[in-house]
Amino acid sequence: MKRTIALLALTASLFTSCNSEPTLQRYFVDKAEDKNFLAVDISPTFIKTDKLQLTPQEQMALKSLKNVNIIAFKANDKNAGAYEKELTNVKKILKDDSYEELIKFNRGTMGASINTKGESQNIEELILFANDKTNGFGVVRVTGENMTPNNVMTIVGLLQKANLDMEQLKPLKAMIERK
Amino acid sequence: MKKLFVAFVFLLIPTMFYAQSAFTKFEDKADITSVIVNKKMFQLMGEMKMDPKDKEAQQYLNMVKKLDNLKVFTTTNTKNANEMKATVDSYLKANPLEELMRINKDGQNIKIFIKSGASSSQVKELLMFMDGTGKANTVLMSLTGNFDLNDISVLTDKMSLPGGPELKKAAAKKQ
Repeated sequence: MKRTIALLALTASLFTSCNSEPTLQRYFVDKAEDKNFLAVDISPTFIKTDKLQLTPQEQMALKSLKNVNIIAFKANDKNAGAYEKELTNVKKILKDDSYEELIKFNRGTMGASINTKGESQNIEELILFANDKTNGFGVVRVTGENMTPNNVMTIVGLLQKANLDMEQLKPLKAMIERK
Repeated sequence: MKKLFVAFVFLLIPTMFYAQSAFTKFEDKADITSVIVNKKMFQLMGEMKMDPKDKEAQQYLNMVKKLDNLKVFTTTNTKNANEMKATVDSYLKANPLEELMRINKDGQNIKIFIKSGASSSQVKELLMFMDGTGKANTVLMSLTGNFDLNDISVLTDKMSLPGGPELKKAAAKKQ
């Protein structure tokens, strides 16, 4: 009988443990301090629109965008072990943290995926994830409200014609140049 | 003790069902190139606004909305190819599909299977297996949804799917 209770307790703990899984948000916070990682936060003001006449559609699309957080793992000769570990971690979080996988691509030691969170076409979170053994991996987390596919496309269009505030991207640029 | 075992098995059953479809095991293998597109992606793509005058784009959007899942696995590794073949065989045993076409071309043995829906050209599942027999690429493609076989040509053109010409032939034959 004792054994039964112990077993039940064990299974119960297995089930409840799902709830205390780390979220991607938590992961971003934790890894911001890690020396293998680089974290960048970008606000929508990154797209300089003061010189543009925005259409109502573009304004709506911009409003739907809240924040962009990026973390990148920089692979080098010494951190191959850490790379594998963190890669597994991110994949696990994406699976557990109730993201819906839209599309996934894998080839050899390279891979990429797009995941979202949100009801039907109103996306609250959009996660772009790309990994490559020789370069490392990057996770881009776009948060917003009501980001419909059309809004996302409109923002991509805006990125092409608006001035971008490069100041916010400096850390990323530095990382690429260091290579 | 026996009861306990049974109870445990029951506990595990749901996890087995969540444990995805027959081909999921190929998704994260280093020697296999995989492309997975899920229903949500198709839904979102279908919501995108495109020029209403562009007939081809509209046809494409309509087609996309009818799709559930696309999986494509490609490998040149013989061991993986054999495993794919075995998986396809056992999958077909468990889920009988109708063989639509069988082609031998350039050392590749191509088989196309479908599961028909309400009408004969209505397709719920399309499975294509190209056996490269160690020489060429071995490709496994699974497409589910509720679409018309004639729509396939639109899709193969727009998405550059493997086996495009063969699928077109198969669609023509079915009519």
